[in-house]
Amino acid sequence: MSDGPLIVQSDKTLLLEVEHERADDCRKAIAPFAELERAPEHVHTYRVTPLALWNARAAGHDAEQVIDALISFSRYPVPHALLVDIAETMSRYGRLKLEKSDLYGLTLTSTDKAVLEEVLRARKIQPMLGERIADDSVAVHPSERGNIKQALLKLGWPAEDLAGYVNGEAHPITLTEDTWTLRPYQRDAADAFWHGGSGVVVLPCGAGKTIVGAAAMAHAQATTLILVTNTVSAHQWKQELLKRTSLTEDEIGEYTGTKKEIRPVTIATYQVMTTRRQGVYRHLELFDARDWGLVIYDEVHLLPAPIFRMTADLQARRRVGLTATLVREDGREGDVFSLIGPKRYDAPWKEMENQGWIAPADCVEVRVTLTDQERLAYAMAESEERYRFCATTPSKTRVTETLVRRHAGEQVLVIGQYIDQLDELAEHLNAPVIKGETRVKERERLYQAFRDKEIQVLVVSKVANFSIDLPEASVAIQVSGTFGSRQEEAQRLGRVLRPKASGGGARFYSVVSRDTVDQDFAAHRQRFLAEQGYAYQIIDADDVLASE
Amino acid sequence: MNTEFTEWLRGLADERLRVLVAARPELITPVPAHLEGLVIRATSPSATGRALDRLNRFALAVVETLLVMSPDDGALSYDDLRKTVARSMPSGDTAHLEEPLRDAVDRLQAMALVYGPDTALRLAPGVRDVSETPAGLGPPATEVFRHHPPERLEELIQAVHRGRPGREGAVVERLAGLLAEGGIVERLLDDVGPQARAALDELAWGPPTGRLPNARREVSVATAQSPIEQLLARGLLAATGDDSVVLPREVALVLRGGRVHRDLHPGAPSLDGAERDQSLADRTAAGQAFSFVRTVEELCEHWSVDAPGTLRTGGLAVRDLKRIAQLLDVPEWTAALVVEVTHAAGLVASSASVDGEWLPTTAYDIWRVKATEDRWEALATAWLTSDRVPGLVGERDDRDRLLNVLHPELRRPAAAEVRLRTLRVLASAASGLAPSSESVRERLAFEQPRRRGAYRDRLVDFTVREAEHIGFTGLGVMSVFGRGLLRGAEQSRPAREPQRARSAPATPAELLAPLLPEPVDHVVLQADLTAVAPGPLTSELGRWLALAADIESKGGATVYRFAESSIRRALDAGSSADDLVAMLEKHSTTPVPQPLRYLLTDVARRHGRIRVGTASAYVRCDDPSLLDEMMADKRAVPLRLRRLAPTVVASRSSRAVVVDSLRAIGYSPVAESSEGDVLVTRADSRRTERAAASRPALGPSVPDAELVAASVRAIRAGDEAHLARRHPVAAPDGQVPRSPSTGTVMALQEAIRQGSRVWIGYLDSQGHATSRILEPARMEGGYLTAYDQTRAAIHRFALHRITGVANVN
Repeated sequence: MSDGPLIVQSDKTLLLEVEHERADDCRKAIAPFAELERAPEHVHTYRVTPLALWNARAAGHDAEQVIDALISFSRYPVPHALLVDIAETMSRYGRLKLEKSDLYGLTLTSTDKAVLEEVLRARKIQPMLGERIADDSVAVHPSERGNIKQALLKLGWPAEDLAGYVNGEAHPITLTEDTWTLRPYQRDAADAFWHGGSGVVVLPCGAGKTIVGAAAMAHAQATTLILVTNTVSAHQWKQELLKRTSLTEDEIGEYTGTKKEIRPVTIATYQVMTTRRQGVYRHLELFDARDWGLVIYDEVHLLPAPIFRMTADLQARRRVGLTATLVREDGREGDVFSLIGPKRYDAPWKEMENQGWIAPADCVEVRVTLTDQERLAYAMAESEERYRFCATTPSKTRVTETLVRRHAGEQVLVIGQYIDQLDELAEHLNAPVIKGETRVKERERLYQAFRDKEIQVLVVSKVANFSIDLPEASVAIQVSGTFGSRQEEAQRLGRVLRPKASGGGARFYSVVSRDTVDQDFAAHRQRFLAEQGYAYQIIDADDVLASE
Repeated sequence: MNTEFTEWLRGLADERLRVLVAARPELITPVPAHLEGLVIRATSPSATGRALDRLNRFALAVVETLLVMSPDDGALSYDDLRKTVARSMPSGDTAHLEEPLRDAVDRLQAMALVYGPDTALRLAPGVRDVSETPAGLGPPATEVFRHHPPERLEELIQAVHRGRPGREGAVVERLAGLLAEGGIVERLLDDVGPQARAALDELAWGPPTGRLPNARREVSVATAQSPIEQLLARGLLAATGDDSVVLPREVALVLRGGRVHRDLHPGAPSLDGAERDQSLADRTAAGQAFSFVRTVEELCEHWSVDAPGTLRTGGLAVRDLKRIAQLLDVPEWTAALVVEVTHAAGLVASSASVDGEWLPTTAYDIWRVKATEDRWEALATAWLTSDRVPGLVGERDDRDRLLNVLHPELRRPAAAEVRLRTLRVLASAASGLAPSSESVRERLAFEQPRRRGAYRDRLVDFTVREAEHIGFTGLGVMSVFGRGLLRGAEQSRPAREPQRARSAPATPAELLAPLLPEPVDHVVLQADLTAVAPGPLTSELGRWLALAADIESKGGATVYRFAESSIRRALDAGSSADDLVAMLEKHSTTPVPQPLRYLLTDVARRHGRIRVGTASAYVRCDDPSLLDEMMADKRAVPLRLRRLAPTVVASRSSRAVVVDSLRAIGYSPVAESSEGDVLVTRADSRRTERAAASRPALGPSVPDAELVAASVRAIRAGDEAHLARRHPVAAPDGQVPRSPSTGTVMALQEAIRQGSRVWIGYLDSQGHATSRILEPARMEGGYLTAYDQTRAAIHRFALHRITGVANVN
């Protein structure tokens, strides 16, 4: 009996024993075709999905390699049916190819006539096709390049897009590596993207995705459209680009709710792009405003549906997606695959942490016991009010204060969902608060002050969830959240994961009310964090208070 | 009736008759009365067809050669036969012809399909009638042209022999005679030109018929336009209907160059396919066997507590199948297979024929505690011998009814046989060879050429797929224990009594056992509240974990997840938090993670804080001292009072009893209207009796030696009677014999053994006592089959009506 580190489960998950001597080799062998799903301390779980297999195919791996990796590392015999299924699934990618022909423009060709016949008969595909050129190829309307890829993926025959890209309007961009250098993995990620043409780069929060974007622009040497989640994030991209590249203030435009600048490099928010007036997307022309050579999508996992539709029309332009996770809570991973491109680079959080690029974090859940009176009130609360009630219970305030005191001298973020609670906390902690109504100017002033350590405690609402850069926050205290979303968790954790000047570890507290729905949501969080491999600990609020 | 054949059969030694009926068991069900009866049955189209079905391609080719080369019931010598067969084989192979041909002829003689000495081998009557297009050849010319008008035939004869002197005899015979001459046909073929020749070549190797509009058109050599017309004009092609034509047999034989078959091979085609490592294949199969056993157990456990209903028509609803597929996390066809095999093994059965439920049987409890390898053997054997086809589930039958899993209509008589044959083919492959499905089908087509068809191909495909899933094969290669099981199934029929000597080969279970993964007694605990068992768990630990945690993923390993609900379940089952922690510490290779420890204590903290019990009545009183007094009263003891609170007492007796008793003691209680007995029940595992399922015989039924001998004896006896034109023997006068019933059976058994006659007393269906002279043949199922000399016929006698037995002499 072999004693490999890998156990193949019948549900197509792979269990990898981390402490096994061959675990490292095994991880490298299976990473191309299996998505890391959970990475707790001893046994990591990978999942083999069709998309993962197709990603592997796109990266040049074949079924033989995949099967060989499974058989050679598996401890127990691998079910034959699973191997057959893998080979079958992988063989589906690339049977159809989108190619450019001088005569017919865009064509769909196939090495397998039967497959071509099958897709030609699909009702969804037919309108996108032009005339039949030969037995094995058919013309495709150039405007349908994105849609047909989406539709083919749904049919289970993902097409390989070899139709190439337009170069776009040239614009010189270089990285100014004077006071800093590109980290090896950032360089690898940018190179991998460039060779693939289009695709997604998966890097943990704090791993410097912006810089990967800048490196991609340096490859493209062309005008670039950058789509980001919100205005603050747009500012930060701008700051980062000014700092890291040869671009000047005049070359970078912001296209947001307040400014509508179109420059060689333009940063737009998803929000403004998806604004509709009388049912019409009013800012669509931005996509055609210039001959863009590169489109960067920040936080691909949050890409809203209208942007997908617009992206379908941008298939001739190079596209790079940046994200911390391919998991989308709406399950549209397939659209990311077909419209933005396959995964081009991936590095798990833990690996990055071990290499010292991101700070290790300790997660602590603090359980607050409600007073008898609060419990009675909680039991009587309407069901829709229950979460708010237990999440904002006054008992939390005391614990939070104690925790802040415990970390006096460190940069502390207090994160919450409910404004009343945040205001109250701010008052108790004597700290400024950033919430939805805080003006952008004021926000940036506070962020800067926090960065400069003029203020050490900052209370923020969920507006700070995305793409803000707070390099020196070493402690985060979460008092309430949006019902345990995994997405939010990844983002909040990202806040404290950036490497610290001191090199010290980060702390992530969640204050939770015992025996309430708050605790149930915390269980989701706990699971997520533990699955990401973070040390997780549960302590009682009484212990915290007693330690005073 | 063909007397020659009858005499040949009669002249056979008993031993050969036994061989015959053993090879063709349908001839003795029921036992024919005499030899002529046997002949009639043996030469009937259905019996002949069944016999031919059993022939492999080579033996069938021998029959076809005889048929073609010896027209009109003529004979063919062995030498001529060999020459013709040799012509049909690719040159070079003929050196190895002698032995297989001899074997084939012997076999055909043993099966009474061919008879006669080597100098004149003849086909048994009836064979010709069931062979419509032997070797793809059309009918002989005499038959083809029989219904053509005489003047048309004359015309053809003119065209064929071109003015050469005519022959004598009927027109048809004359034409046929001309066509039978190879030289004439050759010459005609030269006349018609290449296009027409090509058309004939299309038909030469069969099928010999073609479609042609207006086939009966009038054409002559002079008027013929198209190539086809040239053929029709010369009788090289003949109309059989308004728009169909046929190639006469004589012409086809010339076109075939005197060969009856093309590329005939006496040996079975070889199997080819991917080469695998046999030990890897064995391990893979063992892994699959292990997971199959586990799936079956899981199914039964589910159905123990949540039994699906039996449909009115029998079977399991589609909805229930979908559900179980989801629960077991397998595709539906696999779920159907699991359910069917579990049922075939007698582990589940319907609790009642109408409105019943599918429940695990008592046999399941026995099966469950056996070792994995024994459990697998039981399941695999059940599958092997089942006459049901799980692969058909979800399809519709000829009457457009949906075929449900466990539905009675899922039976297919051929299923077990095809399954066994397919597996035998797989087992016959060289070690490590995974035969391709084409080569398996090709081999089966050789073994039973008359039985091929899309339906059987499907059965073969089902078998291959299911064999892989059950673990007979791994990576398409027959596993060593699968081979063992097949060997066992073939050796020990029909009585499967294990009388193995020490040197006997290992049982399938013994072969499987070392390949199964070693049970592990530890798990890896992780901070995300999962426990990973890196292999099959020892049963104690497995059961405990299944109680305290939910299974999340199965396969080589098992992933368990601890959740509040699962821990509560364990606490409900009587564990304490300390027990749980101790168990985890004992079996974990890593320290118990803090969040898990916290979860355990947290759930335990809240567990049992609210208590719920059963009481039939309560007594409440604002004055605790009065209740103190009542509790202290000895006369209240029978009420089994329990103090729940200072002012509340609960009783197990009913309200009326409590009120009455307290009154009797001297209190004045008042009954209170109330409700709220909360009963806490846990669904019990339920069982039903194992159904007495009919077990079909393994593969094609082979009658046991005793039955064969008895049948032959009966036929002989009947034949003697028949030949001697014996008249009914008068029953002896005097007192009808009487003997005790045990004596009756023994005396009859003795008579069967010795083949002697007996005198019995028998009560007929009206209850009249009669007296008979019998030649007993066999006894089974409470009946005696015997030749009744007093009636001169074979009869069956109910044993309980036989009043007594005496020797005749």
